[in-house]
Amino acid sequence: MTELNQVDLRMLAAGNKRAWDQFVTLAAPLINAVVRRALASYRLSEEDVMDAAQDVFVRLCAGDFRLLKTYDPGRASLSTWLAVVARSAAIDHARRRRRATTPLDDVPEASLGVEDRHVEKLRIPEGLLTDRQMLVLKCLYDEEKDVAEVARLLKIDAQTVRSTHHKALLRLRAHFQVES
Amino acid sequence: MGTEHTTRKDRELWQGLAASPALPDAPVSDLDFAGWLEGRLPEAVAARVEAAVAADPELRRAALELADVLGTPLPVAPARLAVRAKALVGFEVERHSARAGLFSRLFPRNRGFALQRAVTLAAAILIAGGGFMLGGGLGESMAQERYAMTASQVSSTTDASNDLTDLSTVDGI
Repeated sequence: MTELNQVDLRMLAAGNKRAWDQFVTLAAPLINAVVRRALASYRLSEEDVMDAAQDVFVRLCAGDFRLLKTYDPGRASLSTWLAVVARSAAIDHARRRRRATTPLDDVPEASLGVEDRHVEKLRIPEGLLTDRQMLVLKCLYDEEKDVAEVARLLKIDAQTVRSTHHKALLRLRAHFQVES
Repeated sequence: MGTEHTTRKDRELWQGLAASPALPDAPVSDLDFAGWLEGRLPEAVAARVEAAVAADPELRRAALELADVLGTPLPVAPARLAVRAKALVGFEVERHSARAGLFSRLFPRNRGFALQRAVTLAAAILIAGGGFMLGGGLGESMAQERYAMTASQVSSTTDASNDLTDLSTVDGI
């Protein structure tokens, strides 16, 4: 991905064929990996996944490379930005296909599940937890990720994740014990 | 054992709680999201993005997936993905060229090889001009042609008068 971040963006955005071919060679593995990961739960055929990946490249060069020209190397690396764009494009592509072709009876029930409103949940007051604490708890419990994955996401070490988790739970327990 | 017991209790505590619904905020741009994933954002912007990620399950899932993909070695992509993608730009560039006028084709903007074309054109002009000058130029060429015509007229007149002189000599006139 280091090579991808060194692509000549000026030549690329100018429509230079050689620059584009080089870009495709370098970006294809990343876009392929991101799209496949994003569409794993949609149960699409291999052809549909390939179409979704191709759609990412179409978006990048469409309108005289309009999307590519919005990229600012001062704010993020090309590889990360491409990964974000590729994922959004893949999800859009999959939703369009699902809307167009999937009958309701073919959608798994779990995807249609709604929250059980008979269980009254205690509402966490705003400001009780920091955004970081809330994010850590949601990643660990709602997304069922492990400490290492959360640490990688937040670019912090695993011990900091555990510490944040611990402090958040202490606050919650303290607050709701006082309430009860 | 103690850790598991604590984790189960922690999970039960969390499952009995609901976060306050997040107030709608400005959507997070792709660039800000990418910058946040890399830890490159200024503090204020990072805090806003982090709040959005904490509040939005879809954004959270995206963040976790992307962090995972970007942090692991990438598998090789199918060859036809690259083949199809490369074909996109060549086709587009040729379509734009077909619509261009004569002037745009001769002096295209944003095209490769512009310097080489300029050098070739200059060389062609120099060679043509040099050859022309070596040949004497247009004025001299016309003068030579006129001289040649005059010379041929004079020589034909002289020949005719010589013939007449010969005739008279023969006849003794």
